[in-house]
Amino acid sequence: MSSPAETGDWERGRRRTGLLLVLPALAVLAAVVLYPIARTLLLSFQRAKLAPGGLQTEFAGLAQYRQMAGDEAFWLAVRHSAFFTIGEVLLVVVISLGAALLLHHPMGRSPVFRVILLIPWAIAPVANAILWKWIYNANYGVLNAVVTGLGLSERPVNWLGDPSLALRMLLLADVWKSVPFITLLLLAGLQNIPSYLYRAATVDGAGAWNRFRFVTLPGLRAPLMLAVVLQTIWSFKVFDLIFVLTKAGPADATLLLNFLAYRVSFNFLDFGYGAAIANAIFLIMLVLAILIVRGFAPRRSAGAQGKLA
Amino acid sequence: MHRARTMLSVPTNRRSILKGAAGAAGLAALGRRAPVRGVSAATGLSVLSPLAPDPAPPGVAEFAIPEFDAWKAANDVDVTYEAVAWPQLHDKMATNFASGTHVHDIMYNCGWVPEFAQFLTPMDAYLPADLVADLPPSSFSTVGWDGKKLGVVFSLSLLTLFYNTEHLELAGLKEPPKTWDELKGYAKELTRDGRSGWVLNYGAPEGIGGVASYWMTFLQQAGGTMYGADGMPVFNDAPGIDALSLMVEMMTNGSTDPGSLSYVGINDATNVLTAGNASMMMNWPFMWKPANDPESSQIVGKLGSAILPAGPVTSASIDGTDAWTIAATSAAPEKAAELIGFYLSPEVQKKQWLDTGWLPIRLSVLEDAEVQAAAPNAAVVLEQAKLPYDSFVTPDYNEVTQALGTEIQKALGGAKTPEEALKDASDQVTEIVKKRLG
Repeated sequence: MSSPAETGDWERGRRRTGLLLVLPALAVLAAVVLYPIARTLLLSFQRAKLAPGGLQTEFAGLAQYRQMAGDEAFWLAVRHSAFFTIGEVLLVVVISLGAALLLHHPMGRSPVFRVILLIPWAIAPVANAILWKWIYNANYGVLNAVVTGLGLSERPVNWLGDPSLALRMLLLADVWKSVPFITLLLLAGLQNIPSYLYRAATVDGAGAWNRFRFVTLPGLRAPLMLAVVLQTIWSFKVFDLIFVLTKAGPADATLLLNFLAYRVSFNFLDFGYGAAIANAIFLIMLVLAILIVRGFAPRRSAGAQGKLA
Repeated sequence: MHRARTMLSVPTNRRSILKGAAGAAGLAALGRRAPVRGVSAATGLSVLSPLAPDPAPPGVAEFAIPEFDAWKAANDVDVTYEAVAWPQLHDKMATNFASGTHVHDIMYNCGWVPEFAQFLTPMDAYLPADLVADLPPSSFSTVGWDGKKLGVVFSLSLLTLFYNTEHLELAGLKEPPKTWDELKGYAKELTRDGRSGWVLNYGAPEGIGGVASYWMTFLQQAGGTMYGADGMPVFNDAPGIDALSLMVEMMTNGSTDPGSLSYVGINDATNVLTAGNASMMMNWPFMWKPANDPESSQIVGKLGSAILPAGPVTSASIDGTDAWTIAATSAAPEKAAELIGFYLSPEVQKKQWLDTGWLPIRLSVLEDAEVQAAAPNAAVVLEQAKLPYDSFVTPDYNEVTQALGTEIQKALGGAKTPEEALKDASDQVTEIVKKRLG
């Protein structure tokens, strides 16, 4: 029988070995995640110009953040990103919830439906963007063929060339791509709700709407929170659709924050200001994620608080 | 060659000697690439190139392969290509330069030569006199900065007019438009039966081939220019407004394909013309081949080409500037220049056109009977080259054309008048230029 001292040594050794085994993964994470974040943060406080031998930097303090505050393009991109994110999160969550409920229904449980659902998600982002480029083509796109064929418009609609339409059309294309994953997430959540809760609610006289409201929705709180957080982050950093379909045009009508950071960094070669915009995106997403998680946290009722006190 | 130099610069201590011995053994095992003393080592050249069908060299595009293999063997050179999609080239180079490490010896460049000037080797000393004499003198205007030749153009790529001959005949139009008034009249006349008279990609604002660069074409036709002698913008004047008014008028009267504002690449607009859905456009010479390819075109044998219609002053164009440049960090600039010389040799230039559809730049090849027979538009491009074709490239070209192009798009979309758009563009470009000039 081993003594307590021997057990302690064995436990310490076990932990040390575990740490050693995890270290390579931690080093890789530090190299590909932490270092870029730290470097971008540092870069945002520096004026960085291309020069032989690499970037030539000089300390600029908060100058680039002040520049951002007065930059019309930045605020335009903030407005567009807010519209895009709110619109996409609402549409994706509502459509995905509906799709998940249909797939959870006994008639929707065929694997064929799930395979069909996954197609938009399985298509590579750039291929997806090119697909929508053809669908939206003003001259011979499928959407115009449908719209004019049904008599909804006499002339082809300039989906991506009309500044008032372009961002909305990009939003729809991104919704199409995002719905499958969120649907699967919510479907998994639906499958975790115990069926006896529905039976009990039915016995209590609850109709379909009340079962949805008082059983399904509370049961989906965690997956819904995850869906909203993930979709908010993904919507905020959308890039591929803009790059392939509109290049932020026409007349910056589809300029989103992520594309602006790219444009400033790689087209204008202003790496410091580009880093400042990237940090602003990071900060906005972090704050949004915290707010969403707090918003979804279960609230204690006054009575429960009283009892605990 | 630069690899061998790096090895020699390693400090000698016990560890480095051991590492060196191990490295030498490894390199020897690799065969002829090993820089073994007393044996000539092949020079390694790395080349950054666009992917075909954009203008690409032998080995990336399928042409002049036996000649390329023979050149490599005769010169004891290993050529490694990194070929990327054209839209990624600028960002790729910017990232490479930002890393501070040597990546490529030779790089394809477009309108970015002034922007990347400090990373490029002046080529004046490497260009043979007979080659320079065989190139249009103006071909160096877009690859020079601070009085130095930093690259050499390898394809004569000027915008010219392309039109559907059948559409013109059906409309009773005998020859292509020669003036702005004819251009406007033709475009209106040809807009019928679901077709548009004019199409172009106005969707992307920036860069050569963006809407700002198309406006610069009209600007020169109206007798205007971008910058004054002091380098400050002077385009907010009568020629500038005339040029933009022409574009806006053709858009608002319905003779320009409304989709033009959504087409972000030249292929988007080209596809409309080759599908027979538009009658006229300006385009680069490469268009001739795909438009006459039955697999991709509905207008085979119906494509005409002419110099661009003249504005109030002249016909004018812009230069696509497909050029080769040598990195300042290259350890083998002489060999790199020799490889570029091979790319520009008459036989490779001829095959460049015959096999890939990209016109040569050498005047002697452009005048070659076989080339002219296979490229009826070659003579048109040569004629266009006798007229102004300044692309107004500067180190801040991307930023300038982004600001300018966005304002032009606002005018084309009806959000601003040409006067308002150009005034706002001028204010923005002035700030950008001031920032550069310090």
